[in-house]
Amino acid sequence: MIWRRLTTIFLAAVIAVAVIGYFVGLADGVPAPKGLHSHGLLDEIGHHHRAVVRDALSGEDSQTLVVPAIDKVIPAIRYAEIAQVAMGPTAALQATLVELPSSPYDLFAEIQLSAADKEASSALRAARRAFNGAPPVIPHDIQNTNDAACYACHSGGTQLGGMKASVMSHEFLANCTQCHASPPPAPFQDVDARVATSFVGLPAPKSGERAFPGAPPTIPHSQWMREKCTACHGGPNGWAGMESTHPWRSNCTQCHAPSAKLDQAIPVDGAVPMLPPLEVASQ
Amino acid sequence: METQRRNFLKSAAMAAAGSMVVSGASRSLPVIAAADSLPTGDNVTWNKAPCRFCGTGCHVQVGVEDGRVVAVAGDKAADVNKGLLCVKGYHVGSILYGKDRLTQPLLRKDGELVPIEWDEAITLIAQRIMHAPERFAFYGSGQWTIPEGYAAQKFMKGGLGNNHIDPNARLCMASAVTGFLATYGVDEPAGCYQDLDECDVLITWGNNPAEMHPILFSRFIDRRSRGDKVTLIDISTRRTRTSDAATEYLEMKPHGDVAISLGIMHLLIASENYDKAFVEKHCNFRGAEADTPTLHGEQISEEEFRKRIAAYTPERVEELSGVPADKIRMLADLFANRNIRITSLWCMGMNQHTMGTAINSLVHGVHLLSGHFGRPGNAPTSLTGQPSACGTVREVGTLAHALPGGRLVANPEHRQQSEELWNLKSDSINAVPGYHTVKMFEQFTKASADGGDIDTLFVQVTNPGQTLPNLNALFNDKQGLEDKFLIVSEVYPTATTRLADLILPAALWVEKNGMFGNSERRTQQWFKMVDPPGQARDDCWMTIAIAHKLFELGHEGMQDKDGEFIFAVKDEAGKDVPIWEFEHYYDVNVDKHLFEEYRRFTTMKHKNLAPYDEYVKARGLRWPVVEQPDGSWRETRFRFAAFDDPFVAEGQEFDFYHSSSNDGRAQIWFHEYAPPPEMPDEQYPFWLCTGRVLEHWHTGTMTRRVAPLNRAMPTAYVEMNRDDAQAANIRQGEKIIIESRRGTAELPVWIDGRGRPPRGTVFVPFFDETKLINHCTLEAHDPFSKQPDYKKCAVRVRKLSEVQS
Repeated sequence: MIWRRLTTIFLAAVIAVAVIGYFVGLADGVPAPKGLHSHGLLDEIGHHHRAVVRDALSGEDSQTLVVPAIDKVIPAIRYAEIAQVAMGPTAALQATLVELPSSPYDLFAEIQLSAADKEASSALRAARRAFNGAPPVIPHDIQNTNDAACYACHSGGTQLGGMKASVMSHEFLANCTQCHASPPPAPFQDVDARVATSFVGLPAPKSGERAFPGAPPTIPHSQWMREKCTACHGGPNGWAGMESTHPWRSNCTQCHAPSAKLDQAIPVDGAVPMLPPLEVASQ
Repeated sequence: METQRRNFLKSAAMAAAGSMVVSGASRSLPVIAAADSLPTGDNVTWNKAPCRFCGTGCHVQVGVEDGRVVAVAGDKAADVNKGLLCVKGYHVGSILYGKDRLTQPLLRKDGELVPIEWDEAITLIAQRIMHAPERFAFYGSGQWTIPEGYAAQKFMKGGLGNNHIDPNARLCMASAVTGFLATYGVDEPAGCYQDLDECDVLITWGNNPAEMHPILFSRFIDRRSRGDKVTLIDISTRRTRTSDAATEYLEMKPHGDVAISLGIMHLLIASENYDKAFVEKHCNFRGAEADTPTLHGEQISEEEFRKRIAAYTPERVEELSGVPADKIRMLADLFANRNIRITSLWCMGMNQHTMGTAINSLVHGVHLLSGHFGRPGNAPTSLTGQPSACGTVREVGTLAHALPGGRLVANPEHRQQSEELWNLKSDSINAVPGYHTVKMFEQFTKASADGGDIDTLFVQVTNPGQTLPNLNALFNDKQGLEDKFLIVSEVYPTATTRLADLILPAALWVEKNGMFGNSERRTQQWFKMVDPPGQARDDCWMTIAIAHKLFELGHEGMQDKDGEFIFAVKDEAGKDVPIWEFEHYYDVNVDKHLFEEYRRFTTMKHKNLAPYDEYVKARGLRWPVVEQPDGSWRETRFRFAAFDDPFVAEGQEFDFYHSSSNDGRAQIWFHEYAPPPEMPDEQYPFWLCTGRVLEHWHTGTMTRRVAPLNRAMPTAYVEMNRDDAQAANIRQGEKIIIESRRGTAELPVWIDGRGRPPRGTVFVPFFDETKLINHCTLEAHDPFSKQPDYKKCAVRVRKLSEVQS
């Protein structure tokens, strides 16, 4: 009899230890995977951003970048409750979709060009490439995704909430990351990747040349890899301030002259070769 | 001040380049003040140059304004890249502008580096050489331009009669060379990049061109997006970006490639599906001698070949390689199909291999046996990793055993020819091959008292302190050896300059004239476009200046038969131009003089080169370049094939005119499978594979100073399988210790990263000088090529907490 009671006590003790152990185990400080609650890269960029703004406006701290904390962890549902729970998109996501602005693009809407927009767009463009003509770096996280993932947004461009995916300015080319540098891999976003360099890249041209006021400006950049003019100049996903005022006209080079030199079209060393002047007999 | 500010703004803006477009906030990044001193683009001049990085040999257009490179564009006139570049190529201009460029000669005095004058540096080197010429060694690379390598070669073998000159290409493609020699009797590929445009099937053998040769990869894979039906088969020890694009991914065990190629040949022979007509007319069978195997082996009968290869049944191959027998049959069926065109690509996977010569020969053999050779799209194609591994190392022959134009120091006839072409006294050239790379560094890091008979080592354009295998044994031991003197010509501080006694600041890329030779036999030329910073000078000038100082000191080897300086250049009036004085180095085009001299060496092996001026006009020309009756120069795309190669004998469809069997035939080799020299065991349970990444080139000394590239890949890492990590309780990003029998390295872990190794394998890129994985690698090397195996050795993985406790 006595051993049976002892067994009960022993088993009770074992169960108690197991239960306590289980909860202690749960709380043993196993860190959550990185990047779930904070975004190292964005924090860093925010920091840079403020520093740059302060410098540019001579000490005037006019802006702060607010990074919304996104809680990606969705509480799990207990099996017992499954039957009562609505499945599908979360309430938060459904709300986002409802709030999506509907922006039907109007091809014939009047375009008011804004110098301020153009300056802002130029600055953002410049911040994403080492020099004008370099392929822009990828300004957002990527997983090791394939080309289809890039193409899903960047083939025609898209806007979602406050985010914009610009349009590929060239035809589809495979292996996107072979030209477009990606941000650091997720596990290494906190690594200090600053470099000390004195390289200063070619800036973007401000505008094309006009033969006379009112003449169509020339194309001031190479058309290579930028065959789709509307990728930047107009369309629903172009750059603000750089839009065409007449996006319905689709044969751009009919009026806007490209540059043979920048396009490496023909070798131009100095003067364009011409026939010698006509020999006109004088008297 | 203005410069500083604008640089700060620019770099800060670049740093901000990673920002996601979140709400409207980051759209309004600060406007970069259009300071007056910014380049405006109005006065940019553009000129051609080959890219400084890999062996693909893309041409870029370099935009220069106010004496600085401000932009780079893909060269649309270039046949190699047709206007496209990779992420490294687009940013190649920035490599000149790291803040820590070396700008003056530095001498280590009592452990401190102190600036000295160039003249003092050159005199010091010349005196050390004069004192003991036979104890001097010259270590260069496949980044030497052709004239630089040629000058170094002539200086050492012709001038000093010293054959201790070797390049880092020994670590990179020496096995490709021996593979070509063993098979065709002459080095370098028969085909060209056009094969990638025309093949139906591309097989990558332990090769990841999506990251390492992106332009060649996209040249092939873009055909798929245009609607071509192409098949990519990736045979690899881990999943890579190339595997992601592959139709078929075949995961093999290390050394599995040997078994796979034998298995394919076995099935072709067993099913009588090989190309009998081609083999009968154009091939011999060959095997290694039983006692002392040599590079050229011995001829064996077809019967004997059948007998030996019979053991490699698909099931046995599955056992050895880990690739299922059915997949071996699938590969054999592909090769048996004469209606499709198959190109094989390989690079370091097959070269950095203790059976490097064997596996190179075997893959050539698979193509020859199946007749998938010599027609556009049917090609065994070996790639190189350096811009002039082919042009400088293989053609100029800057290897311990070679002379220019495919000649050998051991061959009396070749020595005599070289002495004549160099106008030297007979017997100037030493008949004994010098030390190959591993041996050279063994001798340099061994105390003189213990027989280390190299005491002055001059390193140009490479970084052995990071790239040698087993660094503790081959490099770090130099420390503390008082009589050993390391001279390093460099552009930035590196792992090698750490131990240098004398550092010489070098000009880089378009800061000097140059010529490269790429993977498809294409010789390229460019002109100097900007000045080097400070007192940095051309590597070629350094060699000539040292030679002239020795000439002044009375070294006999520095004068030719007629008593002239061996690098003498005359002006039109017949007067010496003092090119050894840097102020006068650019009075003439030294590159052109050296190249025209070198060109005369190239006809013996039918690797004919055109005059310098032809290369000025072209975006590279593929040798043999042969003069036509109308005076024009014609390049050759496909060697050994009658339809394109002018040297094929009349009436032949194919002609291997440098055949080692002297009968116009190529050799199909049999090699027995042998296991890797070091395999995982209980103590060291993991395979370690090392390699590269898209964003960084080799040791990262250039690319790690380029903002967009360094941001994209800021650190080296250990790629680890998820299950292995879980079993060892290792988390994403955690720093761990990799330990081999030779050394250790500390690195962060990337689980399921860009590449995904199978269980039991870890992968580490070698670009990061702060995390030297070559402390762990093995110096075991191929018996013929002397190339070490960086792709496999045994390691263990330990958590930091384990090591510290």
